[in-house]
Amino acid sequence: MGGVMMNKIAHFIKSFTLWELLKGLSVTGRYLFKTKVTIQYPEEKTPMSPRFRGLHALRRYANGEERCIACKLCEAVCPALAITIDSEEREDGTRRTTRYDIDLFKCIYCGFCEEACPVDSIVETHIFEYHFEEHGSQVMTKEMLLEMGDKYEKEIAANREADAKYR
Amino acid sequence: MNTTDTQLSKQSCAEIDALLAKFPAEGRKSALLGALNVVQHENKGFLTEDLMDAVARHLDLAKIEVYEVASFYSMYELKPVARHNVAVCTNISCMLMGSQSIVNHVENKLGIKLGESTADGRIYLKIEEECLAACAGGPMMQVDHVYHENLTPEKVDEILDGLE
Amino acid sequence: MSEELVTITVDGREIQAPKGAMLIEVTDKANIKVPRFCYHQKLSVAANCRMCLVEVEKAPKALPACATPVMEGMVVHTQSAAAKAAQHSVMEFLLINHPLDCPICDQGGECELQDVAMGYGNDVSQYVEGKRVVLDKNIGPLITTELTRCIHCTRCVRFGEEIAGIRELGMTSRGENARIATCVEQTVASEMSGNVIDLCPVGALTAKPSRFAARAWEMMQHASVAPHDCVGSNLFVHTLRGEVIRVVPRDNEAINEAWISDRDRFSYEGIYSEDRLTSPMIKQKDEWKVVDWDEALKFAADGIKSVLTQLEQAEIQDDTQSESEDSGEVVNKTNPADKIAALVSPNSTLEELYLAQKLLRSLGSGNIDHRLRQSDFSDQDAAPTMPWLGQNIEDLEKLNAALLIGSNVRKQQPIIAHRLRKATLNNAAHISFVNPRVYDFHFPVASNIAVAQQQLSAELALIAAAAFKASANDVPDHLKKALSGLKPKVEHKAMVSQLKEGENTTVLLGDLANMHPDFSVLRVLAEAIATQTNSVFGYLTEAANTAGAWLAGAVPHRGPAAATEDVVQGSVFAEQNPDAVLLLNVEPDADMVNSQAMIETLQQASRVIAITAFDSAALRDTASVMLPAATFAETSGSYVNAEGFWQSFKGVCQPSGEARPGWKILRVLGNLLDQQGFDYVSSDEVRDELRSQCENIELDNTLNNAATIKINGAAAELMRCGDVPMYSGDALLRRASSLQQTQDAQVICVRLNAAEASRLGVAESDSVLVKQGNSSAQLSLVIDDSIPTGSAWIPMAVKGNELLGDAFGEIMVEKV
Repeated sequence: MGGVMMNKIAHFIKSFTLWELLKGLSVTGRYLFKTKVTIQYPEEKTPMSPRFRGLHALRRYANGEERCIACKLCEAVCPALAITIDSEEREDGTRRTTRYDIDLFKCIYCGFCEEACPVDSIVETHIFEYHFEEHGSQVMTKEMLLEMGDKYEKEIAANREADAKYR
Repeated sequence: MNTTDTQLSKQSCAEIDALLAKFPAEGRKSALLGALNVVQHENKGFLTEDLMDAVARHLDLAKIEVYEVASFYSMYELKPVARHNVAVCTNISCMLMGSQSIVNHVENKLGIKLGESTADGRIYLKIEEECLAACAGGPMMQVDHVYHENLTPEKVDEILDGLE
Repeated sequence: MSEELVTITVDGREIQAPKGAMLIEVTDKANIKVPRFCYHQKLSVAANCRMCLVEVEKAPKALPACATPVMEGMVVHTQSAAAKAAQHSVMEFLLINHPLDCPICDQGGECELQDVAMGYGNDVSQYVEGKRVVLDKNIGPLITTELTRCIHCTRCVRFGEEIAGIRELGMTSRGENARIATCVEQTVASEMSGNVIDLCPVGALTAKPSRFAARAWEMMQHASVAPHDCVGSNLFVHTLRGEVIRVVPRDNEAINEAWISDRDRFSYEGIYSEDRLTSPMIKQKDEWKVVDWDEALKFAADGIKSVLTQLEQAEIQDDTQSESEDSGEVVNKTNPADKIAALVSPNSTLEELYLAQKLLRSLGSGNIDHRLRQSDFSDQDAAPTMPWLGQNIEDLEKLNAALLIGSNVRKQQPIIAHRLRKATLNNAAHISFVNPRVYDFHFPVASNIAVAQQQLSAELALIAAAAFKASANDVPDHLKKALSGLKPKVEHKAMVSQLKEGENTTVLLGDLANMHPDFSVLRVLAEAIATQTNSVFGYLTEAANTAGAWLAGAVPHRGPAAATEDVVQGSVFAEQNPDAVLLLNVEPDADMVNSQAMIETLQQASRVIAITAFDSAALRDTASVMLPAATFAETSGSYVNAEGFWQSFKGVCQPSGEARPGWKILRVLGNLLDQQGFDYVSSDEVRDELRSQCENIELDNTLNNAATIKINGAAAELMRCGDVPMYSGDALLRRASSLQQTQDAQVICVRLNAAEASRLGVAESDSVLVKQGNSSAQLSLVIDDSIPTGSAWIPMAVKGNELLGDAFGEIMVEKV
C-alpha cells in the first residue's frame, strides 16, 4: 500500500514542477548548440559517390566515334526491360545501333546496363534532377543519350577513373 | 572447257599420265603431288593459279583441292622465284652447328633476306621450315634438290658462285 | 536388322551399342554430353577439333569420341580428371587465335564455342602473344565471312563436298596460316549454301541479309513451312518484335533432314520489300486511291454483283429479242456467272484456294484455275485426283534408277535433288534426264538427254518404244500409232534396262514437262514407261501447294477432293472471255505461261479484283481493286507437299500495314456477296471442312482413259523455251533482294547455241530483237551450248519478258 502512496506523491511533484517539459526542452537545448548537418538543397548539395547512378548517357571515344557496338547486352540484362535497341550494319561495315531508347519510367537505376557494357558506352551519370512535361518524353533516345555523354564526358571520365582501382 | 584456259605441255601431260598409271584408277588424287612437281619444274620453279587449274582439270579434281595441297607443302612455290632454289636448313641440329652464321653470310653475300630472290633472277633464298634430314652433316643446305653438307662460308661461296 | 551389339561402360553406365558405331553417336543417344565442334551427325568424321577427347581405359591417351569405334567391354570416362584436362587444353588451344569480339559477333548467344568454353574451358589463358588475323573473303550476297573467328573444324568444307556436291570451300596453307578459302574469292554458288551458316560452330560464317539485325536470345522462334517448292521443308521463322529476322531449318528426317535451300532461307526478305501493298486501293477514273477495307471490299463485291446483274439483264433482253424473233424456240441459255473467273497462285494456302473455289462455285462459275503456267489441258480429265510424287521423299534415297522428264531438279527442288544425290552415292543409282536443255547436276548422271522442246515428246516416244520392247507387252491402242516403227537408240535402251533391272525405280515428270505444250503426250508416254518398267510414276509439282490446289478444287473441271458430280464446271482460262476476274497472289506479267495474252484478257475485263501482297505496275495497269494480302509468315494455313503430306502452320507475325490473311479476305467477300457457308472463324475450320471431304481419297497417279496420242513432229524452225529460274517462281521470291543478287538470279537474255547463232547471223552479247506474233522485245544474246538447236532459251518470270507471248511458242530472233 505504501508504494502506491509514494507514486502518487512523486507524480504530484513532477507535474507541479513541469519536470517532463524541462526534460524535453533539454533535448532541444542540446541540439541547439550541436554542429548542424542539414543542407540547404538546392543551394547546397551532398557529396556524391563516383558510383552514383543517375540519368543515363552514351559515351564516345576521343576521336568522336560512338562507343556503342549494339551488342544488346544492356538490353538483355535490364531487369525492368527499359532498354530497346535496333541495330544494323553501318556503311563502313561496323555494327551500330539505329535506335537506343531508355524508358525512364521503367528504369530502376540498378546500374546493370553499365556493368554489362563491354565498351563502357552506356553509363549512369550523377544527374538525378530532371522532370518531364509531356507523355512520351520519358523515353531517352539515342541522340539525347549521346548528347548527355558529350556534355558530361569530363565528369563521367573522372568518375570512372576514380572508381577504376576498385573494379 | 574454255579455250582460253592454260594448257599443260605435252611433256608434262605425258609425265603426269605416267604417274597416274602407278595408282589405282579411282585414286587420281594420289598423283597430285607428283603432278605439281612436274608442272613446277617445267615452269622454272613455281606454280601459278592457271597451272594449278590446269592440273585440276587434268586430274579431274576440284580446283580448291589442288590449292589446298599446293599451299600446304612448303616445296611448292606459289609466287615467282629466281632460277636456283637455295634453302639453308635452320632446324635444331644445323642450328647447333652454326647454321645462323651461314644464313647471315649468304644474306650478306647476295644482299637479300630469306624468302627473297636476287634482282638478276639467279638465286632464290628459301625460308626452310622443315628439317631436311641430313643432321649428321650440319650445317647443310639444299641447292636445286642437291644436298651440300658440313658447310663453311668458303664452301658456300664456292657453291653459290658456281650457279649460273 | 540384326546388328551385332556390344556392351560398353560410359561414366559407370552400361550401354548397348551397335558394333562399329562411333563413341560419340552412342553417348549422344544415351544423352551423355560430350563437347564437339567438328563432328556433325550428317557429315563425315574429321576428328580435327579434338574437343571430344574422352578417357578410355587401357588407352594411353585420351581418344576423340567422334573417331573411336565402340568395342566390347570398353570403359569410357567423359568426366574424369584426364578427360577434363584434355578438354581444358584443347579449349585453350582453340581460343588462342579466336578473337574476343563476341559482343559484335552475330553468333554471340548461340555460339557453340561460347557454350563449350563456358562448360569445359579454363578461366584464364596462358597465351599472351599476339593473335593472328585472317582477311575476310567476299563469297557472295548470302554469307558473310569473318575468317579470323574460324576454328578450322572444316564442317563447311565437308558440307560442300558431301552434301551440296560442290567442292568450293577448302582449307589452304597449314599450321597457323591455315584458313578457309574459296578458289580465289569465288562466290559460293550452291542452291543449299546457306546451310553452312547453321553448321559453322562459331561466327566465321554468318547470314549476310540478317547481319547485325538481332541477337539470338531476343528472337522468338516459330515453326513454319516453306512456301516455294513442292517439298514443304520445315522451317523455324525467327522474329524480333513482330518482324521476321531470319529463317532456319527445322529438322524433319522424313522431309528436309537438317537442311533447307537458300530459296526457303532467304525469301523472307520479300516480305519487307518496297512494293509491299500495305493498304487497300481502288482505281477510280484511272487514278489509284488508298481506301479503307470496308470501301475496298464493297467496291470489289459490287463489281462482281454488277457484272452478274448486267449480264443477266443483257440476257433477258437477248431472250426477249430472240423469243420475238424465233417465237418460242428453246435458246441454249448461257450462264451469266461464266463471265466470272478466278486465277489463283499454287503458292497460296490450302484454305485460300478452297475458299476461292467455293466462292466462285457458289456464284455459279467453275472458272477457277491454279495451273497458271500450264498450256496443255487436253487430257485434264484423265489426271489423277492429285498429281503427287508417287512415293515418300525419304524413299528417293533408296532408288536404283530414275528417269526425270523436263526437270531441273537441282535448282527447282534442291532437297529432292539431295535425296537423289544420296541415291547415286549410296546405291550407285542411275539417274537419267530428258530435258529441253542440258542442265548441270551435282551427282553423276547416267544419261542427260537434251533435245529442243518441240522434239521432247518424240524423244520420250523412243524411250517408251524401248520400254515396250523390253517388257514384251502389247502396245495399247492409244499408243500404237505413235510408237509404231520407232527405232530406239542405245541410250534409250540402256535407260529402260536400268529402270527395269533396278529394285526401286521411278519415272518423274518435272515442272518443265508440266508447262510443256505437249504435256498430255509427255504424261501418257511417261506413265507407259513407268508401267512397262515397273517403276513408280510421279510428279515433281511446281509450287508449294500445287498438290493441295487439286485437292481444294482449284481446277475448273473438278471440285474439292476431285469431285465431279454436282460440281459447277468451268473452262480453262485461255478459252474464256471473262468480265470479272479474281486474282489470288497472281502477278499477270510473271506468273502466266503467256503473260501478254493474260494482260490483254485482263484489260478487257471490266472488274479485276487482285488479292495480292505486292503492288506492281502490271497490276496497277490491269486491276480495278487491290486488296493487300498476307504472306506465308503472316497467315495461318496449310500446304500439301508432293508426297501428299498436309502441313499446317500458324502466322508468326502481324501482316504489314493493313494487309490481312487471304482466307479472311475471301471469307468476307463471300459474306458481302450474300453467299451461304462463309462463317468461318479460323483457318482451321476451313481446312477441316476440306479435310473431311478428302478423307476417302487414295493417291494414285495412274492415268484414267488416256486419249490416243499424236506426236507433233512438225514445228517452226526456232521455238521459244525457258524455265522459271529458281529465284523467280513467285511474287515473294522476285522481291527477295539478296537472292536476286546471286548468280542464280538471272537477268533476262536470250540463249542460243553457237550453231543456231551463226545460222541467224548473231554473235555473243549482241542485242537482238525477238519477235512472237505481234509482240517483240530487245534482249541481249548469250551463246550457250547447253541449249539444243532449234531452241531459243528465254527464262520465264524474269523482268523484261512480259511483252512476249507464249513461253513455248514460235519465235524469231533477228539482229538489231
